[in-house]
Amino acid sequence: MSGPGEDALVSSELVRSYVITGGRQLPDDDELSLHTLVTLAPDRQMPLSAGPEVRAIWELCSGGYLAVVEVAAHLGLPVGVARLLLTDLAEQGHLLRRAAPPRAKPQERAVIEKVLHGLLKAL
Amino acid sequence: MTSLIEDPLLWILLGVLVTAILAVLRARRTNMALRRQSAELRANRDGLDAERLRLHAQYESLRAEHERALAEVRAAAESETKDVLRAWMRTLQVLADEQQRSISDLARLKYGNDPKILADFMTIDHTNSQFGRRAQGIAALCGGWLGRRESAASVYDVARSAQGRIRHFDRVRIHSQVNVAVTSTAVEPVAVVLAELLDNATNYSAPGTPVEINIQSVPTGVCLIIDDAGLGISQEEKDRAAALLNTQGPVSITSLGSPPRVGFAVAGVLAARYGFKVSVDSVSPYGGVRAVILLPESLLTHEVPQPQPAEITTHDFDGPESASYAAPGPSPVTIVGKTAGGLPKRRRAVAVVPQPEPSVSDAPEPEQSSEVTASRLGAFARGTFLGRDTSITEGSQEQ
Repeated sequence: MSGPGEDALVSSELVRSYVITGGRQLPDDDELSLHTLVTLAPDRQMPLSAGPEVRAIWELCSGGYLAVVEVAAHLGLPVGVARLLLTDLAEQGHLLRRAAPPRAKPQERAVIEKVLHGLLKAL
Repeated sequence: MTSLIEDPLLWILLGVLVTAILAVLRARRTNMALRRQSAELRANRDGLDAERLRLHAQYESLRAEHERALAEVRAAAESETKDVLRAWMRTLQVLADEQQRSISDLARLKYGNDPKILADFMTIDHTNSQFGRRAQGIAALCGGWLGRRESAASVYDVARSAQGRIRHFDRVRIHSQVNVAVTSTAVEPVAVVLAELLDNATNYSAPGTPVEINIQSVPTGVCLIIDDAGLGISQEEKDRAAALLNTQGPVSITSLGSPPRVGFAVAGVLAARYGFKVSVDSVSPYGGVRAVILLPESLLTHEVPQPQPAEITTHDFDGPESASYAAPGPSPVTIVGKTAGGLPKRRRAVAVVPQPEPSVSDAPEPEQSSEVTASRLGAFARGTFLGRDTSITEGSQEQ
């Protein structure tokens, strides 16, 4: 029998993502894209059955709007898994969401250059 | 008198008498000889008897010696086989762990946004978890180690980890009323034992029926109770299970049948080594088997680890998609150059409600006065925040 000193470190994640999702089908990204902002609806009670991940989301999103991709990164989960949990919360009415700020429309190069020149002069 | 002598009858009588005496004498002689012969034979027989006993004893001792030698050879062969298997399993365990890490990293950092690819990854991950558990089981039977975790994990997470290592994981429901953690060294053994019991529970109950894990605090530690809705097990099976679960020494891997039924053997070996108890002798409320794991206080810690925000490490996954994981838009944090690696490590307060002042102190701008920098960064932060705020759809925020 090998000694305890030989016991190697196991470094993979303890709880696998398919256990967190319960083997359910993952939602498409139509509803919650990477950049969709989410926050907790006011005056909501955390469901008693909430798992550690949902509790972490609750804490993360209670402070204000956060992008879906940020929630996933903070939880250390794949975006798809975080999206499923967020979708659940949204369906239960715990979560407010809104689309990401629209991308700036491409302006004409000349206009941008003028602005740049103007700024440089002002400095 | 003369007449008597001359009486032929007398002579006949005499003759008969003499003959009789002679006959008696002969008979006596024969008798003597026979006795002597009998005594001789008896002595001979006793000698042979003794010889027989001696030979028997010798045979017995030879046989015992043979058995002992055979047992020794068997034990040596088993121990050598176990050594080899243990070494092999170790490489497999390391590979399975490595693969799990790769799958997690790829799912998290590269393909997480695609539900279809992510689902495929989960299938692979699920198979790999079962494969890893098998390797761990064989390693445990061969006296090897399962590997230790870096930190303690909550009993609930250990149960979920075990759940992920069996085929029909979606039938398992976990109810936990405790907020206790399992020490880092015991995480893997407890998870493997629980997984073996769950595997039995799901395999020997009707497909689709739930298998429940109830985690309860008891005076001597924590109980994990596994109930299935199967048909239960026979007394014979219970005895076999009890024998395997209460084993104190090594288990002969050749005695587990073909295909080997390793579940209870693995549970018994690990329970004995780490000092917890496993039993399967009660009936579940659903009519199936109730298995119980009792974890003593020595394997528990009340410092439940807080879910750590995952450490964002830089990886070589430089696919085209990784770009989309950068900051989703202009944010004050990216402006002050606080991004680390691929993913933005933003503080929530900063990202959501930008505070100009702390950003100022964090932003080294040697060529400009801090006031100018502050006002610009503040203006920018307010701008992005207002940008988010103008598209508000639900509720309103006072600014």
